[in-house]
Amino acid sequence: MSVNAEQIQKINHFSKLPEDMCGKIADVVELKKCNPKTRLLKEGDTGDTMVLVFQGQVEVSKNMMVKAASGFTMSRKSIIRLETTDPPPATDPITEPTVAVVQAPAFGIGEFSLVLDDAIRTAHVHAMTHVEYGILKLDDFSKIVEENPSIGGPVYFEVAKAAVNNLATASQDISNLTQAFFFALTR
Amino acid sequence: MQPEELTQSPEEETTSFDKLEESIQANKVLYDRLHQSLIDEVVATVEDEDEVQHYKDQQKTVAWDYLKKLKHFYQANDLFRYAVWSLGLMLISTAILTIVEYDLFKGDVISDIGNTFQFGEGDPNWVDTFFHTFWWSVVTFTTVGYGDVSPVTHLGKLLTIIIMLLNFGIVTLLGGAVASVLVAARLKGDDKLDENKFHGHIIIAGWNPAVQSTLRLIEADRDANPVVILINETEAEIVKRAVSGFERLDVTHLSENFTQEAVLKDAFIEECGTFMIMPDYSGLLPNEQPDEDKTVLTSLTAKSISDSIQVVAYILDEEYISHLKRANVNEIVFPDEHIPHMLAKHVTDPGVPQLFDELITQEGQDKGIQVVTIPKGLTGLTHNKISAYYKFKHQWLLVGYAIRKAGFSLEDQMGESGSPLIRNMITEQLDSAGIALSSDEHVIVEINPSDDYVIDDKHKALVLR
Repeated sequence: MSVNAEQIQKINHFSKLPEDMCGKIADVVELKKCNPKTRLLKEGDTGDTMVLVFQGQVEVSKNMMVKAASGFTMSRKSIIRLETTDPPPATDPITEPTVAVVQAPAFGIGEFSLVLDDAIRTAHVHAMTHVEYGILKLDDFSKIVEENPSIGGPVYFEVAKAAVNNLATASQDISNLTQAFFFALTR
Repeated sequence: MQPEELTQSPEEETTSFDKLEESIQANKVLYDRLHQSLIDEVVATVEDEDEVQHYKDQQKTVAWDYLKKLKHFYQANDLFRYAVWSLGLMLISTAILTIVEYDLFKGDVISDIGNTFQFGEGDPNWVDTFFHTFWWSVVTFTTVGYGDVSPVTHLGKLLTIIIMLLNFGIVTLLGGAVASVLVAARLKGDDKLDENKFHGHIIIAGWNPAVQSTLRLIEADRDANPVVILINETEAEIVKRAVSGFERLDVTHLSENFTQEAVLKDAFIEECGTFMIMPDYSGLLPNEQPDEDKTVLTSLTAKSISDSIQVVAYILDEEYISHLKRANVNEIVFPDEHIPHMLAKHVTDPGVPQLFDELITQEGQDKGIQVVTIPKGLTGLTHNKISAYYKFKHQWLLVGYAIRKAGFSLEDQMGESGSPLIRNMITEQLDSAGIALSSDEHVIVEINPSDDYVIDDKHKALVLR
């Protein structure tokens, strides 16, 4: 079983590419399947692969130090769930979502691996349903870009956009945390 | 306006007056459209329903409270428990005696009661017999011993011996129980206040010449809560004399040190509507100044008991304002702030200070500037409509609005910015640490807003009556 160009084009990062280029990417993507609860990415790991989810629902979560009744504990906090719509997940998620579920025809995670060979995974990703996904390696992708430089523009633009958005959110988070910090101090 | 200032020609004057007339008429039409009667009805029904519900709730809680108190008393008081059990045993013994010696007591009923009322018509039934036996028990118990009934058989005498011995215990214990309750009440002191009465009341800490005049104004306003607790160490006689003239107010004096947490709790500070702290002149000589550190300390204590207590602090020394703000006091009254203004206005705008005087001195007679609740039906309307409502319905001048505003709210401040994960973490963690996410509500005023200013349910009307 292999991936076709159409599936690749559904993913936001590659949507601007012509079909023949998507076909080239599809050729190097390794298709995989996994059961619910499987961990696709682990926070803190370095990786040089991007995960392309074609069908299913995944949960993105982060480890956080929180204060519970028994003292400080490390707990895994869900951030968001991502769900494919084309095709929709084959099974129901194993747990009801406690966070927002964002839907897209198909989506890619770990896109920073397309530019960095030792990108650190910033969050965990777990499968919530049966998931059909593909693995795109940095080396393979770089080779395609070398041969077809025109691919680079649109793809790297999407990656840069994601990076800039993340940065904006992060700076807003810092400002929120600073406010909360002063608020707590004056109380 | 001075007549000399109207220097327009008579013609012009008439046209402008016509216009004025027109706009007043328009306002009246506007007011009519507000369906005054409808609004009043809605408001009245809502209030009635509230009251009925409140009354029902109160009745339920009173009965429940008594039951709980009785249970508590039963559990806490050995003597009372013993007495209850003895009384129960006595009833059981009486019942046994009735059963065992039924014929004897029944015969007694016939011979003793004769033709007077009895439950069994003609022939005494078991109720008469039981009552008669019980009568005998009580006569024996209370050591009255009429001797009109007495046991005859050996078994009857044996049971009587038991009852008489029990009686010995019960009479002693009942007497002891009564005495112990009285002694306990005496030991606790009479200062313990009845907590049912205190809800939304006013607490005034500190004794000061302003206390009496403040109370007088509160007395004059029929809508204000009449229950007041004064906490200060001034002689009880002086305080009593000062508050004796009030008819509507229910004033209680606690002669204690108001900086102490236990004292504030005794005054049910968590339930109070307003906690007022005044410069305390208790025990000072005429030329001595009150210690305002106490005001700051008391504010901190009150706010540490509950952040939601509405604290109003009256301060004489400007230096303390920053401390009070840090203590999160809701309102600070600093009279010196107004003095330069009042003095200067006598020069720059003669008439303005007199206006203030007039407004203040009129307050006793339901006149002057007052805050009134805006009828529910009017929320969401614009200022000119509300203004017309008060003008034509009550002949009051709407000066502006007093608005309850939540202070700084972290949640509002953060809004939707940043990642939801971090925002949720912040609120969750602060919440679990007991840190309120918004500072206290406070009142701000909006004077003479523009006509299209929209009011919401946080607004109250400031009217000149």
